[in-house]
Amino acid sequence: MTDYVRWLIKGILLYLVNIILIFIVVFPIIYAISVSFMPDSEAFQYPPRLIPDSFYLGNYIEALKSVPILRFISNSFIVSIIVTIGQILTSSLAAYAFTFYEFKGKNIIFAIFLSTMMIPAEAIIIANYLTIRQLGLLNTYAGLILPYLSSALGIFLLRQFYLTIPKDYYEAAQLDGCTRFGFLIKVVMPLSRPAIGSLAVYSFLMTWNQYMWPLLITNTDNMRTVQIGISMLQWSDSQSFGLIMAGVIMILIPSIMIFIFGQKQLVDGLNAGALKG
Amino acid sequence: MKRLKKILSIALIGSVLFSSTACSNDIKPSSVSNTQQNKDKVIELKFWHSMGGKGGEAINKMVDDFNKAHPNIKVTAQYQGTYDDALNKLKASEQSKSGPDIMQVYDIGTKFMIDSGWTTPVQEFIDEDKFDTSKLEPNLLSYYTVNGKLYSMPFNSSTPILYYNKNAFKEAGIDPNNPPNNFNEIEKYGKKLVKKDASGKITQYGYSMAIYGWFFEQFMAKQGALYANNGNGRDKEATAVVFNNDAGLNIINWWKKLVDEGIAGNFGRKTDDTKNAFIAGRTAMIIESTASLKSILDGVGNKFKVGTAYLPALNDSKDGGVIIGGASLWILNNKPKEYQKAAWEFVKFMISPEEQVFWNENTGYFPVTKEAYDLPEMSAHLEKYPQFKTAIEQLHSTPINRATQGALMGVFPEARQIIEQNIEKVLNNQATPKQALDDAEKNVNSALENYNKTLNR
Amino acid sequence: MERTESIANFSNAIGDSELKNDVIRFKNNIEPYLYIFPSAIVFATFVFYPFIKTIYISLFLTDPQGNLSKFIGLQNYIDIFKSADYINSIYLTLKFVIMTVPLEMIIAFILSISANLRLKGIEFITTIYTLPIAISSASAAVIWMLLFNPSIGFINYILSFFGIHGIGWLTDAKYGMISVSIVNVWLNVGINFIFMLAGLKSISKDLYESAQIDGANIFVQHIKITIPMLSPTLFFLITVDFINAFQEFGVINIMTQGGPVNSTNVMVYSIYRDAFFNFRYGNGAAESIILFILLLIFALLQFASSEKKVFYK
Repeated sequence: MTDYVRWLIKGILLYLVNIILIFIVVFPIIYAISVSFMPDSEAFQYPPRLIPDSFYLGNYIEALKSVPILRFISNSFIVSIIVTIGQILTSSLAAYAFTFYEFKGKNIIFAIFLSTMMIPAEAIIIANYLTIRQLGLLNTYAGLILPYLSSALGIFLLRQFYLTIPKDYYEAAQLDGCTRFGFLIKVVMPLSRPAIGSLAVYSFLMTWNQYMWPLLITNTDNMRTVQIGISMLQWSDSQSFGLIMAGVIMILIPSIMIFIFGQKQLVDGLNAGALKG
Repeated sequence: MKRLKKILSIALIGSVLFSSTACSNDIKPSSVSNTQQNKDKVIELKFWHSMGGKGGEAINKMVDDFNKAHPNIKVTAQYQGTYDDALNKLKASEQSKSGPDIMQVYDIGTKFMIDSGWTTPVQEFIDEDKFDTSKLEPNLLSYYTVNGKLYSMPFNSSTPILYYNKNAFKEAGIDPNNPPNNFNEIEKYGKKLVKKDASGKITQYGYSMAIYGWFFEQFMAKQGALYANNGNGRDKEATAVVFNNDAGLNIINWWKKLVDEGIAGNFGRKTDDTKNAFIAGRTAMIIESTASLKSILDGVGNKFKVGTAYLPALNDSKDGGVIIGGASLWILNNKPKEYQKAAWEFVKFMISPEEQVFWNENTGYFPVTKEAYDLPEMSAHLEKYPQFKTAIEQLHSTPINRATQGALMGVFPEARQIIEQNIEKVLNNQATPKQALDDAEKNVNSALENYNKTLNR
Repeated sequence: MERTESIANFSNAIGDSELKNDVIRFKNNIEPYLYIFPSAIVFATFVFYPFIKTIYISLFLTDPQGNLSKFIGLQNYIDIFKSADYINSIYLTLKFVIMTVPLEMIIAFILSISANLRLKGIEFITTIYTLPIAISSASAAVIWMLLFNPSIGFINYILSFFGIHGIGWLTDAKYGMISVSIVNVWLNVGINFIFMLAGLKSISKDLYESAQIDGANIFVQHIKITIPMLSPTLFFLITVDFINAFQEFGVINIMTQGGPVNSTNVMVYSIYRDAFFNFRYGNGAAESIILFILLLIFALLQFASSEKKVFYK
């Protein structure tokens, strides 16, 4: 009985804590959603409002009218997905070498790779612009994608995960006649689905949220990406917050969808991994 | 080895592809210079701008109209982020000569653009074309005229004005049709306008302005005082700033006094935050750009009536006034003359009365040409927004002199930031107004010295 | 896809045609380099090459248009270290790191443990916790600016019920750094949470069960089992958060622009200002080299001190 009560109290407490935390975490998003449904005359009132008077769609209509946001979303999608796949492939390969091989200069090369995370983007962006321009890739998907096809963070993350894979897995695989590359494809990568899933979510969102680089190397609306779309809704002399929030919410929906989808993959991956383990 | 070969061949194909597209880009202009084709040849121009929202929509419409009216020229409007973003992009692209043909640059980028040598002054086209500039607003032209030459065409122009809440005035027993003219009155009215709740917390401030360097510049000009030496950098290269004097102190002293007395609120650097406070009825008067009129009226809706007035005075100078803000259109010189001439056609179109009325209606910027006021649409528009008349009258009543022309400095963006930082210091009680101005002067001067050192003169 | 297939064919071909012993040695010599080759190409072209350019530029005086105008050796570096503002920005950067990284780690740790419990609706809760990372820092900054607004902001409105009035979140030098930190923690907790949860899921439940039989309470279980088992992930996250915090820019650029009174003028923001606004590209380049060296030193120290303590397997 007391055990049951304790269990009950613990459960209620856990839910309570979670509910409070959820409220704190989502409040800004809920607020953004509700402002996106308010005309400006309603958004700025004191005391501030949380619930719009009416379901005002003007901001969304206006946003769709002034910015080709659907085109931007599809551009961002293409670029983000290719970058994500590219990063997963290059990072898996490199992390495999850094984990399972002994080779000359391994530690130094690993350190050099990692050091790419420490170079501020602001320091190299202009030079990269000139490189892309020289390659004739201004205003192309390739120009948006190429510089981001590998990621030190991805290599580091996967290496950390690979390190936890017990060595006897390899011995077992070898007995089954697996080559080393086969071991990577057939054993290591499936085992690291949770890590790859996290990396995928991370890479996708990082690319989705880029602003400076796409702004610099694209010129026309048919190549531009979502964050530029948001800035196109802003205008220093005459700001409409409802309009900006409508834009923010519209580009948030696809990334959340990717997210939920990615998470499902992740969970499935975990279950699959558990079965094998 | 197979793999290596594959990679190599991919790289090879790649580089061939890249180089071929690179070539075709370079060849385009020269391949069409054939005179026979001249008649039905279309000149393609790139126009970089920084107008988001409604402003961007209006630009697209105007560009479409231009293209329809000019079958030989095709202008493509390209949004390039904020003014700062666009200028950075221009810098990067000019290193490889791939910039635009026409570019919108903000007021404080004027000196930078002149020094860059990337542009052809529009004066050249005005002279060649015998274009009559007497129809254009002299106050706007004077900002962008340097050494007697008009370098760029004013396009979107605004000045600051005082916005006030007429209902709050009535409630406080102040005549809503008699707004304050100077800071003594701001203080007097402000005191009456402050509202507190039961706990003594202020629910409505009397007056507020964002910590924005532009406002400091405006209040200097309003006192008829210069910002930089050598005639605001217009007689000769500016080598030092001259705001560390009574005029500068006057501004900061008033600012601090109003905040200390609880009359003025401090809503930070973002003008939007101050504007929103006004819209929400949390402050009864604010200083804002004329271009914000529409968004203020939209935001306020039926909550209260909005009045507008001249920028309040700090002394009784008769030579003072407001400086033009906003941006202008520049013609770049990295393409042959015929391209630049086509660009000039575009600039002329953009400042024609019809387009300017449309522009004013959609954005709230001043019409560049006085002829706009002859059009019935304009009168109808002013009928609808009588508050905008204040802005026009204030502009026309401003005498043109070195103070109201505004300063020319390459380091203006940095100077603005330094001023803002130092005003914040004063409002946070970390420095006296005098110390703040001393620091600001020292920092801007050293930036100026640095800038002048790198100019190849 | 095609490339991996070709690699597979390649290694199979070798595996079939050569003697086993030779093969393994051969592979050891070449294979690892092939694996790192794609990443190396990307890094060399788009990180190291431009970075070397930056180092070169840092030795020059640059004109406002960004061209090199005069070789001045290490003068840019000397100027930087003479500037009180720059020293202050190093201090502010460290302050920002200390104010954000530990919080991001601790909150994410607690959240991930609670999300790893078998609760009804936990998937929903998990999704919610990770929502903020789907928002770009620019959008987040705009939303939070509204919330932080000194007069009409929701946060001050809620605080007013508790008798706290008119905090100048973005206008008072005391609060600038706090506000910026709150937004960054809000943005970054989610990603830490995902990584930690992925790590937690792969810890075998048996370990906890046997600990329970030994009579260890939940707290001890986490100290003795969770943290060591999660240490590769934790080490990774600390390193990455640390590097990211050192390079924070997005939120500050929109919310405070280094203010109020320079209280959020962190190193990367200062680089950005100098290189892109103040027409001092050479200075900005030198500043970024210094930031790089600082980060490298910190990272090496971190690797040296923690890599041994991290528990793999």
